[in-house]
Amino acid sequence: MSIVPAIRARGVVKRFADLEVLTGIDLDVARGAVTCLLGPSGSGKSTLLRCVAFLEECTDGIIEIDGEPLGFGLGPNGERMRLPASSIRPVRSKIGMVFQQFNLWPHMTALGNVAEALVTVRRLSRSEAHDRAMAELDKVGLAKRAGHYPSELSGGQQQRVAIARALALEPRIMLFDEPTSSLDPELTGEVLNVMRSLAETGMTMLVVTHEIGFAASVASKIVFLDHGRLLVEGAPGDVFGKPRHPRIDQFLDTYLDRGAAGLI
Amino acid sequence: MTSLLSYLTGEDGRNILSGLINTCILWVIGSGLGAIFGFLIAVARRYGPRLIDYVLQASVEVIRGTPFLVQIYLLYFGGPYLCLSLGEASACLTLDPFEAGILGLSVYGAAYYSELFRAGFEAIPRGHVEAAETVGLDRWQTLTRIILPEMTMLVLPSMVNMTILLLKETAVLSIISVKELKFQVDIIGNRDYAFVESFTILALVYWALVEICGALGRAAERRLSRYRFAHS
Amino acid sequence: MSWELFWLLVEASGLTILYSGVSIVIGFVLASGICAAMLSSHRLTANGGRLYVSFFRGTPLLIQLLLVYYLLPKIGLNVPSEIAAIIGLSLSTSAYQAEILRGGFQSVPRGLLEAADMCGLSAFASFRRIRLPVAVRLTLPALTSEAIMLLKSSSLVSVVGVVELTTMAKDLASSTYQPLPIFAAAGLVYLIINLVVAGFGRLAERAAKRGHA
Ligand SMILES: Nc1ncnc2c1ncn2[C@@H]1O[C@H](COP(=O)(O)OP(=O)(O)O)[C@@H](O)[C@H]1O
Ligand SMILES: [Mg+2]
Repeated sequence: MSIVPAIRARGVVKRFADLEVLTGIDLDVARGAVTCLLGPSGSGKSTLLRCVAFLEECTDGIIEIDGEPLGFGLGPNGERMRLPASSIRPVRSKIGMVFQQFNLWPHMTALGNVAEALVTVRRLSRSEAHDRAMAELDKVGLAKRAGHYPSELSGGQQQRVAIARALALEPRIMLFDEPTSSLDPELTGEVLNVMRSLAETGMTMLVVTHEIGFAASVASKIVFLDHGRLLVEGAPGDVFGKPRHPRIDQFLDTYLDRGAAGLI
Repeated sequence: MTSLLSYLTGEDGRNILSGLINTCILWVIGSGLGAIFGFLIAVARRYGPRLIDYVLQASVEVIRGTPFLVQIYLLYFGGPYLCLSLGEASACLTLDPFEAGILGLSVYGAAYYSELFRAGFEAIPRGHVEAAETVGLDRWQTLTRIILPEMTMLVLPSMVNMTILLLKETAVLSIISVKELKFQVDIIGNRDYAFVESFTILALVYWALVEICGALGRAAERRLSRYRFAHS
Repeated sequence: MSWELFWLLVEASGLTILYSGVSIVIGFVLASGICAAMLSSHRLTANGGRLYVSFFRGTPLLIQLLLVYYLLPKIGLNVPSEIAAIIGLSLSTSAYQAEILRGGFQSVPRGLLEAADMCGLSAFASFRRIRLPVAVRLTLPALTSEAIMLLKSSSLVSVVGVVELTTMAKDLASSTYQPLPIFAAAGLVYLIINLVVAGFGRLAERAAKRGHA
């Protein structure tokens, strides 16, 4: 019996005009585990994540979420075909996403941001949505800030609200695109802690990050992307342990000065 | 002072008041219609087909590139020559000054408002819309719940400026004898040879209206300011 | 409408360009002074500048023009109506330009000036080499649209009897009974002038960008 992975990508290609950003990615993301996506900037990490979230349509290849194809599927003769738009929403609703720039809606309070989709998408009553949103904010330690607007929160707090916003919809899979890259080091910690405890609950997570320490200690699998190709994948010990792929050596030289050396 | 008071009571006072009321009617309807049509133009240009975008862009550029006074002349003096005939029946665009004024202000305002809303659409970070997409809001919900409220904050200051600009343009309508404030005060000024006095008073009244409008706008901005910027 | 009529409009547009051009230049000179006043640390001077800007931006240009036109003879200055019109236009545009310049100077990032400080530039050098060019670059688009606004508003000088494009169009319209084509043609001439001004504005922006990239 083969276990269906949470995310399965096969032959994913993404082109922007002439630029081929992803050149045929095959990737399995296991259920209930943390997978970290590393790679130098411009290697296509965000693009891959955005294809998985269907914010971007991939040019070729197929992405399946929990075994269900997202946006494109295989036709009767094995050819790739576009699936009806109505099939996207249910598949996509299994995915939550957290952005580097937080993207909180500035005209709503923290609570409003979390409750919005509960009311307009999930059709909960206002009071139910309120209670659920409060519970989610409490989990990220921000129940006290529920009434604050994004402009009144620190970057770390904003990102924790963004995580609560995604979690409130009970996704099966959480995608994180450099969630701490616009934060000061001291604020990075509070966000990483929230992510760590989320991982402990058994959430399936695909995380793009430059926090090597986090990747090494929390991830069960590391995927290394370079020039739109999947260069190396494996357990952290194997990927970081010697002998290393020369590109990874180079990459670590660039990013590994945050006291994370001891962790790998 | 007694003389000024004597203007404000009796016949003159009534005329001035009716002029002021007409100015306000022109202003409110002109900017209201202008804003509504401007918004529709902006939406059509953003979400409609390419061809509509081009046609609307050209029209907006023409209106923004020509003087309001010339537009009013064209509408008021040229309108009666602009006829549409269908067989026997024919209809011409014959407008009285007030109608020409309202129409002119709305069209002029719509062109400027549309540009302002377009800029507002552009200024909303893409990520905010993507975040709405990832939590499952549909296009309509994204428009009404995220884009419009956010855009309101972004365009409020320029909306206030534009509305003030339209108030000042209403004075131009006196040239085609719309019976608004300047027209009514002119009559009295001409009769009594009190040009400097009448224009000074007019200037002060418009100035006061503009300052009040600006102050209200700033107060609204202050109240909304915390909705405005995320720390990113 | 005949070519002769159109040609008359084109000729009259020369006067429109003349009056607006002169007013924009005089207005810019005045605006620099008013902007300096507004940014001055001397309370009274700053408030004076602000009051000036508030008045001229807060009242219809039509009324300003008429006020200047009737006020000048009263204080013993009997000038031709063309001069009165130019004075009125200059005063008005100076207020708008001053406000644009103030916005530009204030949005020069502090860091740039601090860096200039750290590099040992004198206060004057920092102003001339950093703050002024950056502010001009920031304000070029707004100054261009103000020039276009003024060009359009100059049509109002027809009410004090100054001959220019709009006056000519009005006279021709009533003498030929062809208001529709004549006002449309006048609008076209304005549009062309403004497109040219906008084009120059973009060229200037590009040049400024290249110079200070
Ligand atoms: N919308 C787009 N249009 C054109 N090129 C893009 C677009 N998005 C990303 N790219 C390009 O794709 C490449 C990979 O980008 P990205 O996925 O953001 O990399 P990463 O997240 O790994 O830094 C970059 O060269 C980038 O310039
Ligand atoms: Mg990225």
